[in-house]
Order: sequence, then structure tokens, then C-alpha cells
Amino acid sequence: MAGTMQKRGRARRVTGILALAFILVGLYFALIGAPPDAYQGEVQRIMYVHIPSILTAYLSFFIVFIGSCLFLWKREKRDDILARSAAEIGVLFTSLTIIEGSIWGKPTWGVWWTWDARLTLTAILLLIFVGYLMLRSLIEDENRGAVCSAVVGVIGFLDIPLIHMSVYWWRTLHQPPSILRPDKMPWENVHPSMLIALAVNFAAFILLYFYLLSLRFRVGEMEEEVKTLKLYGGAS
Amino acid sequence: MELLKQTLWMLWKDLLLELRRRESILAMFFFGTLLLFVFHFAFEIPTEKAAEMAPGLLWLAFLFTGTLGLTQLFQAERENHCLDALLLSPMDRASLYLAKVFFNLFLMLLVELIVFPLFWVLFNLAFWNLLPSLFLVAFLGTIGFCVLGTLFSAVTLKARARELLLPLILFPLMIPVILATVRGMEIILRTGKFTEALPWLRLLIGFDVIFFTVGFLIFEWVIEA
Amino acid sequence: MSAWGFVFLAYGIVWFALLVYLGNVIRRFRKVESELSSLRSSGGLKKNA
Repeated sequence: MAGTMQKRGRARRVTGILALAFILVGLYFALIGAPPDAYQGEVQRIMYVHIPSILTAYLSFFIVFIGSCLFLWKREKRDDILARSAAEIGVLFTSLTIIEGSIWGKPTWGVWWTWDARLTLTAILLLIFVGYLMLRSLIEDENRGAVCSAVVGVIGFLDIPLIHMSVYWWRTLHQPPSILRPDKMPWENVHPSMLIALAVNFAAFILLYFYLLSLRFRVGEMEEEVKTLKLYGGAS
Repeated sequence: MELLKQTLWMLWKDLLLELRRRESILAMFFFGTLLLFVFHFAFEIPTEKAAEMAPGLLWLAFLFTGTLGLTQLFQAERENHCLDALLLSPMDRASLYLAKVFFNLFLMLLVELIVFPLFWVLFNLAFWNLLPSLFLVAFLGTIGFCVLGTLFSAVTLKARARELLLPLILFPLMIPVILATVRGMEIILRTGKFTEALPWLRLLIGFDVIFFTVGFLIFEWVIEA
Repeated sequence: MSAWGFVFLAYGIVWFALLVYLGNVIRRFRKVESELSSLRSSGGLKKNA
């Protein structure tokens, strides 16, 4: 048992160090190595954090879904801790995605917010995550809280494709696809170092995500153990 | 068809209770009508724009009215440990889910049947002939609302700040239904034809089927927690 | 605000938030680790009593 813990701790540390390395290299490429975009200028550099952020947020949500499904099926505390940790980190990355998108939007479209499909979808994702966490904190019985939030985790994920479809239809049927094309990625003049910047930053975010997740998961496990010890092993 | 028998029996019990006390239905009906009044004061709705805004306003009114019904939904079971008694009996949990879904659906449809024409009268709309198609769209949307709403009404049953938490969790998940219903109704009002609204209707039906199945399967775990 | 201003604003917020969260988790980690080891050493004898 102690052996696995040590192995996990070592894997975590390695991930952390790799993450740091990729982050630093990624920062170099994002801010210096890659050239400014032909149309958007320097502001386009925000995409090097924005795209990895949104992908990490969706990954997190997927992990919440898996954890919730496993928990509902097998009722092992471990899966609940996984789901809870992924939800917490997911809220973080989703909020960051929205902030980055907003900051990118101001010089590009002139507004801090627009109800375009991508931003709207990310906002909805955030709402579902927040609902998950709020439900947890407002239900007093631990086990019931875990089951109920797992239900939100499962249904939320199943709903995502439907939300996606409905929001995209709504936006494309109602906005003239002329001046504002915020969903269009400027892939025309893609300099190779731009792709490298994106790839490195993407790897950096994924590594950082798993580092944070494993840390947070370990914290959850230990807190659970503390609770059990206090309940059954405590002072006479 | 044991499941069906149990469902009908539970539904009958709820309908009978409601018939005698009329608590939920009256509250929902008055709340829905009240919202229409408030909309009139909150929004400047000139007659030309009334048809445009009708779907959104109507669906908003139904959403809030429906939420009112959802918070009341398990009220009878919460008193006197009824829920524990039900769970102790060999009753299929899914029949409780079905019964509650149909009950809330019934209440909401009653309210909608009255509020729809009322809206038409209050805001001086024409197109009375389109009402049946509009009602069909609203019906499909209401099913989606009841299906997910009943599940989450049970999920938030023992949570604090339940009246706040239920809409907070439910509404984001309802966005496909809200969009599909309102856009569908809009298209029907604008073009007078059903066919152009079909994609939205298919989305609605898909939503209803998916979450009816999921709710049916998951409800057991929720209510026993 | 210049273009670079927006870029630095975005990057600044992102990394600041991530660092704050990381610090938070590490702090929680250390706290629960010490709590766990103290519980284990003191309560361990009585656990199977």
C-alpha cells in the first residue's frame, strides 16, 4: 500500500516538473517565438492559453462524468473524490476560459461579451459545474450529497451535446454570418512556430491539469482518511 | 404490467389529493397569470412586437410556474415519513418517478391551457388558428421540463435553500428545451407553417426521450439516498 | 489599452489564478498530511481496542 502511494507521489512530482518545463517553453513560444497573427495582431497570442484552457475544461467535465458514473455504479468513495476534485479544477479552468475569451474579444470585436456560441456554451458549462459544487455543499448528509451531485454530473454531461446543438443552431440561424465570425479560426496563414506554440502550451496545460488533479485527489483521500480515523479511531 | 398499475395508483392518489385541496393548481395558475401582468408592466410591448415576444414571455411564465409546482411535488411524501413508508413497501421506485412526472405534467398542461388563450386576449393577438400548433410545441417542451424537473426535485429534496438550488441546477440543463420551444413557437408564429420548426421539434423529442429514460433509470438511486 | 496590454492582462490573470489555486491546494495538502500523521501516531494504538 505504501509502495503505491510512493509511486503515485513520484509520478505526481514528475508530472509537476514536466508541467513547469512545458509551461516555461510554452510561454516563450507564445509570447516571443510565434509571430503575431496577420489579421488579429498580438492579441491572437491569447489563443495559446485560451484553446488549451477550454479543452482542459471539457476534459475536466468528462472526468466528472466518469467519476460520477463509477460512483453511482460502485459507490466507492474514491470515485466521488475524483469527481469532486475534477469539478473544482474544472470550475477554475472554465472561469479562466471565459475571462480569456472576454479579454480577447474586447480588442477583436470591440465588446467584452457577446452571446456567440462558444462563449455562451462555456458559460453554461460553468453554471453546471457550479451547480454540482453548490448542491454538494448544501446537502448535509455526506453520502446523499455524493449521490445527488453524481446525478448532476452524469446528466450535465449527457446534456452537453444537446445544449451544444441548440446553442449553435440558435446562433447560426439568427446572426448573419457576415462581419462577425468569431468561431472562425485564422488557419490560413499558419506559421509553423504558431502550431508549435499551441502544441507546447496545450501539453503544458494538460500536464498542469493532471498535476493539480492528482494533488487535489490526494488531499481528498487524506481528508477522507482523517474523517474515518476521527470517527472510529479517535481519543477514548 | 405491475409498474403501470403502481404508477396509475400513485397518480390517482395525487390527483385526488389535488382535486380536494387544489393547493398547487391554484397557486400555479395565479402565479402564471400574475407573471403575465408583471411582464406587461416590465416590458413595453407594442402590438406589432407582441407576437414576436409571445413565445419567450409565455415560456418564461411556464418555467417559473412549473418550478413552483416542482418544489411542491414531493410535499405530501415529505410529511409524516410517507416517503420512508413508500420506500419500505415493495413498490417499484420508477413508478413513483412516473407518477410524479405525469402529475406535474398534468398540472402544467392545465395551467398552459388557460394561460395561452389568456395571453392572446391580454396582449391583443391574432392568429388564434395557430394556437394548437403552438400548444403542441409547448407540450413537448413541458414534457422535457417535467422529466428533468421531477428528477431534480427529488435530488434537492433534502438540501438547504431548496427553492433556490432547484432552479439553479435545473435551468442550465433546460437550455435546449427553452431554446427549442421558444424558437419553434417563434417560427410557427412568423411563418404560420409547422414544417420549418421541425428541426427544433426533433431536438425536443430527442431531449424528452433521452432524459425520460435516464430519469427513469436513475431515480431509484436518488430517492433512496 | 495596447494589444500587448490585453495579452499581458490575460496571461497575468491566468497564471496568477493558477498559482493561487496551486498554493491553496498545497497548503491544504500540508495541513491534512500533518493532521493525518498526528492522528495515526496518537490514535493508532486505540483504533483496535
